[in-house]
Amino acid sequence: MKPIARSIRTRQLGGYVCHSCTRNLRRSRRGYATTSQPSTLEIYDVVCVGGGPAGLSLLAALRANPITSPLKVALIESQSLDPTRKFSLPSTQYSNRCSSLTPKSVGFLQDIGAWEHVKRERVCGYKGMRVWDGVSGASIDFSPEIGGAATEGGVVAYMNENLNLTRALLGRLDELGGVEVLEGEKVTGIGFGNDTSTADLSSWPVVKTSGGRELAARLLVGADGGNSPVRTFAGIDSRGWDYGRVGVVATLQMEGEGWGCEEGKIAYQRFLPTGPVACLPLPGKFCTLVWSTTPDLAAKLKALSAEDFVSMVNAAFRLSVTDLKYLHDLPSGQEEEVSWRENHTPFEREHVPMKVVGVQEGSIASFPLKLRHADSYIGQRVALVGDAAHTVHPLAGQGLNQGQGDVESLANTIAYSVEHGMDIGVRMNLERYESERYAQNNMLMGVVDKLHKLYATENQLVVGVRSLGLRAVNSLDSVKGFFMRQASGRGEKFL
Amino acid sequence: MALLLRQRLLSSGLPRELLACTVSTTSRSFSVLNRPPPNYEGHVPLTRIEKAGLAVGSAVWSLIDPRRPDLIAALGEATATPYFIYRLRDAMLISPTGRRILRDRPRISSKTMSMTYLRSLPENTVGRTYADWLDREGVSPDTRDTVKYIDDEECAYVMQRYRECHDLYHALTGLPIFREGEVALKAFEFANTLLPMTGLSMFAVTTLKPAERKRFFQIYLPWAITNGVKSKEVINVYWEEQLERNVEELRSELGIEKPVDLRDIRRQERARRKAETEAKERSGDSLGIN
Repeated sequence: MKPIARSIRTRQLGGYVCHSCTRNLRRSRRGYATTSQPSTLEIYDVVCVGGGPAGLSLLAALRANPITSPLKVALIESQSLDPTRKFSLPSTQYSNRCSSLTPKSVGFLQDIGAWEHVKRERVCGYKGMRVWDGVSGASIDFSPEIGGAATEGGVVAYMNENLNLTRALLGRLDELGGVEVLEGEKVTGIGFGNDTSTADLSSWPVVKTSGGRELAARLLVGADGGNSPVRTFAGIDSRGWDYGRVGVVATLQMEGEGWGCEEGKIAYQRFLPTGPVACLPLPGKFCTLVWSTTPDLAAKLKALSAEDFVSMVNAAFRLSVTDLKYLHDLPSGQEEEVSWRENHTPFEREHVPMKVVGVQEGSIASFPLKLRHADSYIGQRVALVGDAAHTVHPLAGQGLNQGQGDVESLANTIAYSVEHGMDIGVRMNLERYESERYAQNNMLMGVVDKLHKLYATENQLVVGVRSLGLRAVNSLDSVKGFFMRQASGRGEKFL
Repeated sequence: MALLLRQRLLSSGLPRELLACTVSTTSRSFSVLNRPPPNYEGHVPLTRIEKAGLAVGSAVWSLIDPRRPDLIAALGEATATPYFIYRLRDAMLISPTGRRILRDRPRISSKTMSMTYLRSLPENTVGRTYADWLDREGVSPDTRDTVKYIDDEECAYVMQRYRECHDLYHALTGLPIFREGEVALKAFEFANTLLPMTGLSMFAVTTLKPAERKRFFQIYLPWAITNGVKSKEVINVYWEEQLERNVEELRSELGIEKPVDLRDIRRQERARRKAETEAKERSGDSLGIN
């Protein structure tokens, strides 16, 4: 008898009030509920774990959009954000962690009002790219003219310090206000809420922080990096492999501002069998180095004196693979050896980055390179963005941009749900985000992964074929324009 | 028009990257009408067609007349690029001693290697063995042409070094300079350096006498291949620094076994044949045939 009566009541209400509210309504009417909720439990619409570029730009996007701005949002970041807020370096120093931002990502940052907060004098747009094969010397040149035709303003990408971006995003969030920021608080556990008389939170994730707070989230966003606790909570596996390589980064000073910098600066990348080495322009005479190599060679590089390290960087763009092998094994004295070899190695001065003359003290660091892709970006009341969802080899400079793409899509998805009166956390309403991003990210990651593998060999046949391919592409401006548009994030969409 | 066609032919040759094992040089193909300036003293830039012609011509002619070292030298240079000389240069660059040789660029001649000094060295030293070999064969270290057809100046030095060290390989292996010994040493060098000229020189085996050819295939070719492949790169020996070392020690360090002395074998063979004919004559005499 009783079940039938209940179902009838539910059905009667169901026409205009959603299921969980009906139940709550029912309970409250029954009237025997006591305050069984712990007093600390706070309910939010969006709780974002991770205050990196992805998390911060998501919150900025939600706050900046009048549709989503009424949402109650919180940010949990385990580190203090003060160093980021106070990030300030003289114009002769740059942080070693830089990322390229495509015009598409910059457009998004402009839309959410964060780009104005970026210190523009520390950002360097580049208009040309030169990529070449370290074994055969076959090269591909994306000159500023092709770039100009393919992209707006001719800028392929902007090099920017990650801290400059996060500082700007924090600035924008402070300006917008309305975000509950829990900084310096670690996530100690994520579980489900309870089905109580006031609210049924049994399908809601509740985040417990080291500060003793409990936040129930209609939508929990994991922007918490590669080892995402949110992803673990959601039971989503992340698959992939380690490349057995590390990226050595450093801030370098060159002898000049770069070749042909009147027309626009140029980014350089040379594919060595140990991994690609890239020299990406920063304002003035500075550039940032990303040298992917094996962990033991990276350890050797880091142990070198500043002079020898600088010589090794110059050698990496100029000397033969054989010479580099030998130089890596020298405990010291690279400077002298490299200056001798440069006299006997043919290279065109203006086809390689300008000579590096110095390395910023303490800027040499390294991080492991891997490929990871979560099985899914969404779960019930859970969404993953940025590195929590995917990690990619840095050779195409797309990692941060993929994260920005995720954020833009997720913010739009949330806005759509809000606009249409749907629950923003329900899996079905998050599907749009996943369908927009998953396949696209997967394709890009696949291309980057194959590029790494194609160039990680010294097999003569493979070298020959890949060099022929590169030269063929190099002679076709239309194909180059296509790649240029893809790299700048304004290309045709396939998926 | 003809010139245009020719340009296209030149540029549509085998892609360089299929063959170059290291940074490809930025040299462009050119025609005989606009020959570029030399890259180093004595360099003669050749077009690809000229190089091919030189290779074929010198190969054929040196087979007919193997006493022309200039032809062998030209053949060596015309066939060393692409790939092979770069490979040999890289083999030097990866070895600390090889690098030192490339940096110092020592040259071997009677001026840098004094015969009186070499002869004064004790028995069984590398220098003394070299001097003895020079004396036995009646040659001098000064008979080497300078390299002129290799475009890269460093690779030109590598070729020069190989050429000047050739006599030291002779001394190390004890192989004589007549055709049979030369072919055996070339086979060893081919296995060790991969220079095409040394391999092509093995065609001279067709001009040997049947007995010599049999000996080559039975003794010297197997020796050359096993030793050439398993020993270290002999181009990386800094001979100038090894002169006072024990020659046996150097051989074992490089992993080279000394082959059977060719001159001894030939002497024994000659003696045997002579004895045979004499015996035959004697038996003929006793039978009263003559």
